[in-house]
Amino acid sequence: MHPLDRLFEKSSRSLAQRTSRRSFVALLGQALTGSLLLPLLPIDRVSRAEAAAADPDAAAPPSHSAIGGGKRNVARDDPQNCEYWKYCAIDGFLCSCCGGSSHSCPPGTAMSPITWIGTCHNPADRRDYIVSYNDCCGKTSCGNCACNRNEREKPLYRLSRNNDVNWCMANSDSNYHCSVSVILGLAEQ
Amino acid sequence: MRTSQSCAALLALLVNGAAFAAPPLPAEQLSIEPLPSKSAHWVYVIDEAFFNEIDARVRLFDGDSYRHLGQIDAGFSPGVIQSPDGGTTAVATTYYARGGHGARTDVVEFTDNATLAVAGEIVLPPKRAQIPPTYFNVAYSADGHFVYVAYITPAASFGVLDPATKSVLAEIDTAGCVLVIPSGPNRVSSLCDSGRLLTVTLDSAGHEAARALSEPLFDPDADPVFIQGVPSPGGYTFVSFLGQVHSVDFSGAQPSIQPPWSLVGTAERGRWRPGGSQPGAINAALGRLYVTMHRGGEGSHKEGGTEVWVFDLKTHQRLARWPMAGSRLGAVTAVQVSQDKAPLLFAAGDHGAVGIFDALTGQLRHVDKNLGQTPWLFLNP
Repeated sequence: MHPLDRLFEKSSRSLAQRTSRRSFVALLGQALTGSLLLPLLPIDRVSRAEAAAADPDAAAPPSHSAIGGGKRNVARDDPQNCEYWKYCAIDGFLCSCCGGSSHSCPPGTAMSPITWIGTCHNPADRRDYIVSYNDCCGKTSCGNCACNRNEREKPLYRLSRNNDVNWCMANSDSNYHCSVSVILGLAEQ
Repeated sequence: MRTSQSCAALLALLVNGAAFAAPPLPAEQLSIEPLPSKSAHWVYVIDEAFFNEIDARVRLFDGDSYRHLGQIDAGFSPGVIQSPDGGTTAVATTYYARGGHGARTDVVEFTDNATLAVAGEIVLPPKRAQIPPTYFNVAYSADGHFVYVAYITPAASFGVLDPATKSVLAEIDTAGCVLVIPSGPNRVSSLCDSGRLLTVTLDSAGHEAARALSEPLFDPDADPVFIQGVPSPGGYTFVSFLGQVHSVDFSGAQPSIQPPWSLVGTAERGRWRPGGSQPGAINAALGRLYVTMHRGGEGSHKEGGTEVWVFDLKTHQRLARWPMAGSRLGAVTAVQVSQDKAPLLFAAGDHGAVGIFDALTGQLRHVDKNLGQTPWLFLNP
């Protein structure tokens, strides 16, 4: 085993033994809030959409959100819809369509202990949240509700912001099944 | 009326009689179809089979006859590459002992391109980077003596393999830099979080002899590059999210970074962008770069192109804009161009159909809807 792997496994096991999932999430949220706030400020989609309407050569809004305003609001509240606000940088099958929820894995799968991180804007309370995208592992592809959104997503060389790699990679059963989006905390204080 | 009925009955009798009189069809012999002679217009289509991801496959397709010539199995989230002599396809993949679960085996499988039969394998440590296919998941040294495999656990490193003895020679820690960009007989470069290239030089046993970091190739915060580098004369070309073209000459001991240039004019910058799983392709002889382009903003870098833009690599002039609207492909997420002087452009739509275009004129020749559910990468033979 590579020394880094051994270190990672040891620290992960130790952390898991010492803390509950909730306290870990709270701690990570606090740690990330300060360091990630500035580079992760959300883009202004409204102004972009207005610009697109005014300028036929302007950047088009992402195709996954190319729906009417009323429907868009409904979609952003529906965890089984790719437009759900927490899914702003998710790439995979939505666990909420696979027996889980937006923040829980389906029965019989295993949670990935390592994740990628994003910041999503909740239009309901107008707050930005840091979210952890975990994969659920140990069964073959769910195949339902494929969703690919990439706000502030980065290529593989910036691993903690990348949603292409199989985050089940470190699981004992590393097959990829589906993905969830777990709120870690506010991205603003 | 009665007369015509009688004539019809007589005619039927004569026809049937003639049929019965013909000799029976000969017995057939079951055989294995041999591959025809290799063509520059063949393409290897890597289907990730994302909706049942343990069953990826590589389909060999003839862009002239539009025939499916055969298949190479590719397991889970594979990397695929051709050997320098074109004789072998190397597939770096993962299998689970019970299909969807069970013990994990990472392996590089070698397929004889003359027969499409598996001709050997090297079992890896369970560290292979399980990522979408690129040119740099698995790679050969220029002389074919080494095979390199990218590892992410999430610690980043790479394996050095000997395809002759079918053995793993070494593992090289890359300190957070990812992928295996091969150059020369013994050099491997990786893309780093800082936007630099790490280049590791190997000794004859495949162990690290030296390493060096390049000057920054790109700004990963302001304008990251796609990891899907495109083979170009002397090295590889990387296109950025905002449409900058970064070419690197890997022919020397260390990478030589060429001055970047832009696919888009000032008015287009940030509005028209490259996107998809294989956003660029180059025909080296013609010096032409093909890029999938769409109108989009931040976060749209995986959207396919509504147009394919064609550029002259020397003058950097845009030669053509080919709208994909009439092609029935949808948005184009992957492109490849054959390397002959009458080239074909292969283009994968976002619903899995593959279009074959004349790469000189942009004229659509054919659409095939049976080349897989998620064809994310094309390789030339």
